[in-house]
Amino acid sequence: MTDKNVTETLPEKSVFSRRTVLKSAGIGAAGITTAAALAACSKKDDGPKDLDAATVSFVFNGSADQAKSWDALFAGFKEKYPQIDFTAQAIPSASWAEYADTVAVQLAGGAKYDVLNLATEGALLFADKGVVLALDDLIARDQEEMDIALADTHPRLVEFGKKYGPQDGKTYYIPSGGMNCMAAWVNKDVFAKAGLELPTDDWTWDDFLAAGRTIKKKTGAFMFPVTAEYFVGIMPWLTTNGASTMNEDWTVATCDTPQAIEAAEFARQLVVEKLSPAPGGTFDRFELGIKGDLAVFGGGRWPVLAVRAANAVDKYEIFDFPHKGANRGSPVGWAAFPIMKSSPNVDAAWEFVKYLSTSSGATVFATSGGTASPCLKSVAESQDYLADSPVGTEKLYKALDYATAIPSPTKGNLTQRTIEDIWGQIIAGNIKPDAGMKKMQEEVTKLL
Amino acid sequence: MPLRKAKQKQERFTPFLFLSPAILFFCCFILFPLIGAFGYSLITWDFFTQPKFVGLDNYGKLFKDPIALEAVKNTFIFTIASIVTHVGLGLILAVAVNRRIPKFFAYIIRTVFFFPFLLSWSATSIIWSFGLDPTFGVIDFYAGKVGFPQATLISSTWALPTLIMIDLWKTLGFAFIVILAGIQAIPSEISEAARVDGASGLRLFWNITFPLCTPAIFFVSVTAFIGAFQIFEPMYIMTRGGPDNATLSIVQYLHMSAFRNFDIGYGAVISVAIFIVVLIVTLTQFKFAKRWVHEG
Repeated sequence: MTDKNVTETLPEKSVFSRRTVLKSAGIGAAGITTAAALAACSKKDDGPKDLDAATVSFVFNGSADQAKSWDALFAGFKEKYPQIDFTAQAIPSASWAEYADTVAVQLAGGAKYDVLNLATEGALLFADKGVVLALDDLIARDQEEMDIALADTHPRLVEFGKKYGPQDGKTYYIPSGGMNCMAAWVNKDVFAKAGLELPTDDWTWDDFLAAGRTIKKKTGAFMFPVTAEYFVGIMPWLTTNGASTMNEDWTVATCDTPQAIEAAEFARQLVVEKLSPAPGGTFDRFELGIKGDLAVFGGGRWPVLAVRAANAVDKYEIFDFPHKGANRGSPVGWAAFPIMKSSPNVDAAWEFVKYLSTSSGATVFATSGGTASPCLKSVAESQDYLADSPVGTEKLYKALDYATAIPSPTKGNLTQRTIEDIWGQIIAGNIKPDAGMKKMQEEVTKLL
Repeated sequence: MPLRKAKQKQERFTPFLFLSPAILFFCCFILFPLIGAFGYSLITWDFFTQPKFVGLDNYGKLFKDPIALEAVKNTFIFTIASIVTHVGLGLILAVAVNRRIPKFFAYIIRTVFFFPFLLSWSATSIIWSFGLDPTFGVIDFYAGKVGFPQATLISSTWALPTLIMIDLWKTLGFAFIVILAGIQAIPSEISEAARVDGASGLRLFWNITFPLCTPAIFFVSVTAFIGAFQIFEPMYIMTRGGPDNATLSIVQYLHMSAFRNFDIGYGAVISVAIFIVVLIVTLTQFKFAKRWVHEG
């Protein structure tokens, strides 16, 4: 119930313009990454820019249990720019799609924000509506600083940002503000109690099933919570069998491929064998896991907050998601921090966006736990990120090497609802997996 | 003379002064939004781009929309079940409590049944979501023990009946209290006279109690209809309208259309349609009320 709101996926979105991307990619290709990372680290010590007093209002998807981490992030900015009157508005939402809808309605109702926190599931929507500012001029103004950040950003995020962002040649979102991939958070105590060795990153669905049966038999604990959450509960099973809900361009539904159907059958099997709590429940998977009643849960970076709060960091180790055959997979979503076109404080807002997108903010967020993994390699490999986190945390960044961007077309909020509803019926046994995935194919196709 | 005229003028104006707060609220929260909704229903608008006038096209779309029809069907099932159960059980409870049972028990029963009505729908939905959790829910567990279906909120067959049952739990107390008040308002001399004439308990109920509490029953049936037809929160919170739209209510569909699909014009059409249905049914209830509601 809670993990998804922390982040199913940080959004994606459009990134630097093609020109900027190509230019920066050239720099990266020249092997400048390491130097850039060092330079980026040094940037956080830069003094505040010569800004007049201004206000910046920011809206983000955050719940009470994440407040401390977000507050640390904001405190870093306020310290750096004391002359800026910064305010942040949290909207706790069950999903990123729902959050995007809420923000859109608020904006229509007259709410004024300078900077938004969006995820992949909402970024195209806002760009499509023409309410966010093209950042190209601002990027050009701070080209050196942004090039450094971009060179330190995982190249696949740069690629995704370019590919899945608005295709009008402009840059609305910086691709280095945070991301999440999915991995398996394994409770070591439960495995030990069942007399099992910990898995490896190469574990397969068959290994997963066998471990689940043993754990159920010997400890009574559930293996994994099968849910109908798009990022957390559906896409991991699809991507670890080489499937997805849509093609690479997000223009054609691919829900009824044999691989997708097989993934749905496997998820249903976990429910039938009672290796998962029955779908549709309201239990807290972190609480259940930490108590030892759940061997594995899926997650990106966000579970670290709950695990730290329960002093259970040592109980967990992170592994790649189990996969079918050789199809290692994970969804990925990344954060977007657009500036509103209507903002009267563009310069101050830009400083905040830069803070979030460069090592300054990323380091603070990584240290405090955050709800997303850093996009910057230098931060992802640093102790700021890895300390006080389960063994294997670095895999959350490395999963980018093989991750699939969470399909989020312009009507992503509607496709997500359809996908989640039908997947929910499949895992609940209301409809057979093959019939359900075919129905999903039809419904998603209508929305694309 | 001028003074008298001024006074007459003031007297004519005074009632409106007293009515003005109600008129103001009515205009702000009923009349103007209604006019606005009708206006919005003639355009397409997504909040951000320029609105476009489309005439009655949105209305035509409504009649061809299978999801809207499904939502209407669900809503009518929910509404009819709500009226029948509220009036039926409310009447039975009220008659039972009105009999000569110890005051203490009557007080306990009234409190127990009315208390859920004081909870918000959000709190009610969350409480029942926990109780009906298919793995850890206490209610779900014991329902299974006595042979009731389990995991009902994720069953396309049982989700709507489950919501009807939760609605009954939450709002039965209101119907019960209103009908009980109606029964208790019946002058005791009438019942006693009937008893003296030898009327049995059942005859007393059919010929005295029921007819004289029909105004209360009528009030309950009208308010139950209006409340049930506009049901939104339990569906939104507990089932999201699923599975497979099995619990999608018409107001939830309005919300989806306007605030998820950003089709304000279509959402406005649905709201106008809801207004017309509620108006027609309520007027019909009042028209037929003359045939069975005791006036006196």
